[in-house]
Amino acid sequence: MTGAALRVGGLSKTFGATRALADVSFTARAGTIHALLGGNGSGKSTLIKILAGVHSADAGTVETAGRALDARAISPHLARELGLRFVHQQSSTFGDLSVLENLFLGHGFDTAPGFRVPWRRLRARAETLLRRFDIAADPGARLDDLRPATQTMVAIARALQDQEGAHEGVLVLDEPTASLPAAEAGVLLDALRRYAAAGQTIIYVTHRLDEVLEVADEVTVLRDGRHVETRPKAGLTRAALSELIMGRSVAELSTGTRRQQSAPTVLRLRELHVGPLRGLDLEVCEGEVVGIAGLLGSGRSTALRTVFGLVPPDRGTIEIDGRPLAPTGVREAMRADVAFVPEDRAREGCFADLTVLENLSMPSTGRWFRKGRLRHRAEAGQAAEEMRAHQVKAASVHAPMGSLSGGNQQKVIVARWLTRSPRVLLLDEPSQGIDVGARFEIWELVRKATAAGTAVLVVSSDLEELAGACDRVVVLRGGKVQAELCGDDLNETHLEHLIQEAP
Amino acid sequence: MVRTTAAATDGGGPVRRADRRTVRLPDAAGRFLEAYALIGLLVVIAIFFSVWPRTSGSFASVANLQILIGNQAAIGIIALGALIPLIANEWDLSIGSVAGVTAVFTAAALSGGHGLLLSGLIGIGCGLVIGLANALIITRGRVNAVITTLGVSTILEGVVNQRTNGVAITTNIPDSVVNFGLGTTAGIPRVALVLIAVALLVYYVLDHTPWGRYLFALGSSPSAARLVGIRTGLVVGVAFVSASLLASVGGILQVARQAGADPRVGAAFTLPALAAAFLSAASVKPGKYNVGGTLVAILFLAVLNNGLSLAGVPAYVSSYLNGVALVVGVGLSAWLGRRRSERRRPVAEPQPAMNHPPLT
Repeated sequence: MTGAALRVGGLSKTFGATRALADVSFTARAGTIHALLGGNGSGKSTLIKILAGVHSADAGTVETAGRALDARAISPHLARELGLRFVHQQSSTFGDLSVLENLFLGHGFDTAPGFRVPWRRLRARAETLLRRFDIAADPGARLDDLRPATQTMVAIARALQDQEGAHEGVLVLDEPTASLPAAEAGVLLDALRRYAAAGQTIIYVTHRLDEVLEVADEVTVLRDGRHVETRPKAGLTRAALSELIMGRSVAELSTGTRRQQSAPTVLRLRELHVGPLRGLDLEVCEGEVVGIAGLLGSGRSTALRTVFGLVPPDRGTIEIDGRPLAPTGVREAMRADVAFVPEDRAREGCFADLTVLENLSMPSTGRWFRKGRLRHRAEAGQAAEEMRAHQVKAASVHAPMGSLSGGNQQKVIVARWLTRSPRVLLLDEPSQGIDVGARFEIWELVRKATAAGTAVLVVSSDLEELAGACDRVVVLRGGKVQAELCGDDLNETHLEHLIQEAP
Repeated sequence: MVRTTAAATDGGGPVRRADRRTVRLPDAAGRFLEAYALIGLLVVIAIFFSVWPRTSGSFASVANLQILIGNQAAIGIIALGALIPLIANEWDLSIGSVAGVTAVFTAAALSGGHGLLLSGLIGIGCGLVIGLANALIITRGRVNAVITTLGVSTILEGVVNQRTNGVAITTNIPDSVVNFGLGTTAGIPRVALVLIAVALLVYYVLDHTPWGRYLFALGSSPSAARLVGIRTGLVVGVAFVSASLLASVGGILQVARQAGADPRVGAAFTLPALAAAFLSAASVKPGKYNVGGTLVAILFLAVLNNGLSLAGVPAYVSSYLNGVALVVGVGLSAWLGRRRSERRRPVAEPQPAMNHPPLT
């Protein structure tokens, strides 16, 4: 199977003053997994949106299965006709509805006379579909009750259900594993490999380079809207990939200094009972970065949210610098110099339609209210300085937050807390959906804070990140710390093993 | 992602920097047009009515302009009241009824022979009590604001009818009140001076205090607002109290302007006031609800209606125009906003069109 399933030629797109795509051409062969890579702002999301008909291109052609089209003319409808199918990271599935309903909501329900929905016939079709895509689920099951990887597979089945042949067309997956824990991602990648082996062409967008090395047949790299290279995966290494993506070599995450033995304890959790946590004991020293690893639902995020006063603990104590913190709310936690960067950047972190300046100073707005009014000029000056210091790339401090790339938004959110010189910094999935370059810069910022004595507690599904950036990682299982790794023991394989171990 | 600085630091090449320069001018012109289009249109129709033979005799006269502006003072203040919760993305549908209740109780106190101060305090007290009730039901009871204020507004209509039996209160209103309502200072209607003072106060609070900033934060993302330590319930509650207080100030001005209280007037203010608050996002600061835009919207609709009624156009035509102005104005500003964000490439913004495959 070496025919071209998708051929993109001379694709260009300009937004106002910004050249998002400049003459991008590449070919994806049929029956292969083709990884589409690039940093934030490389143009890969624009490319996908053009294929989906959301944005219209300025120039270029798109060819699928021998049918060539002017890229300017693609509409969502036409994209479907071309056999292009999309599954996005913010899974467009409905958690409260059944598998069957989810499958046919993307397709339109067949109706019997009188607009009645013929449930029995649909159920039979759903079962065929689930078999075809190797999904072990009952059509009547509620989607949220399935494991995360299966939910994504249902979304894929929905996208591909009305292909005539078993594996025609091109499936575009946009960061499908971004919010999946490692084990779930593994299950999904296995499924993708099976689909590809059966002849399905898959365009795979991800920031996780390990997955690319594991599953892709070929890679296409975009940078600054230009096509850098399309080549087979064979012979590529992580370092080579990140150099292709960033256009320069990127230092691997490294801690530099390991934990100082003599540092005093800053954050101490004792016998914490809340949600899935059953007696969590944890200490973080001054200047130390402690990671929490565990499966989804192991209470990783709950631990952070409890310290920040978002979830009241059922039992147990939290101490900061020896003083008990009874977090009755966010403000009390903030007063104890606790800072929190939430997992859901778009919903809980950003004020997308406010400016970068307003986003930066939001937790400390009162600081600028002097003699009866907000000192806008002083605030803007400080914000511009912070943007420089934290390497935030934005048109100006007055640019809307929504116009920034994910990586730069995250830098703004981290910066808004670091300016408060927190004692405890809580990071929940700090580099989700962020390219390796921005991730490195964010960790540099965090390291600067730890040098000043901040204690950092970080939750991440990215084991490479945990192993690379933390001084010490604890593994949560059954609501307790089951293992602790530091020094030379702290590596990805070890972590993966400990997380998966049966309780 | 924003390429203007990325180009400089990443060495994005001369191509991008060059085309940035060429587009800059129309970009700025576009922003200017967006911000001042409605004001320009206001000037154009004002000039039109001044020279159109059917209205040129009466429209541009000092007396007509004084009436035109004086008649907008109450509704303007009520619209500023609607604006405050709207910024936090909450709708107050009770503002008109609050103004109505205030007007009735203030007028009743005045005609009952109570002093100016006491009558005014009674009116403001109405606003305070209703505002607190709204705030508590919405923030503590966690009832949707639209439903709460709709219910409260309906109750208030009952209160007005019970108090007045549907008859206007016009007897025994002191001359000093009437003089204030109809008089001018330096050629400007005194009630309009009150509107200007209130507008400055609201502008100060929204743009120059942390509380104003918190309102915008809530309007942008309530969950993110909570996570930066904003007391979201308190901010929203105070917004509803402020809205009711401003509505009651509007009600008191209406008593002065009309030398009494008409029980049918109150609720009729709600929709035009909300409309003006919505339209504010179409001018001065495009895409953001703002004080200047609210005043422009009020004045725009007033000039349009005044000119047409002077020209002898039937009254129903202005209903058509008001409706069209609202839909076109808000639609236009939303469209401009989308174009603006498309130009800047929205990254965080979800793309609903992509998340759901098209139904076939």
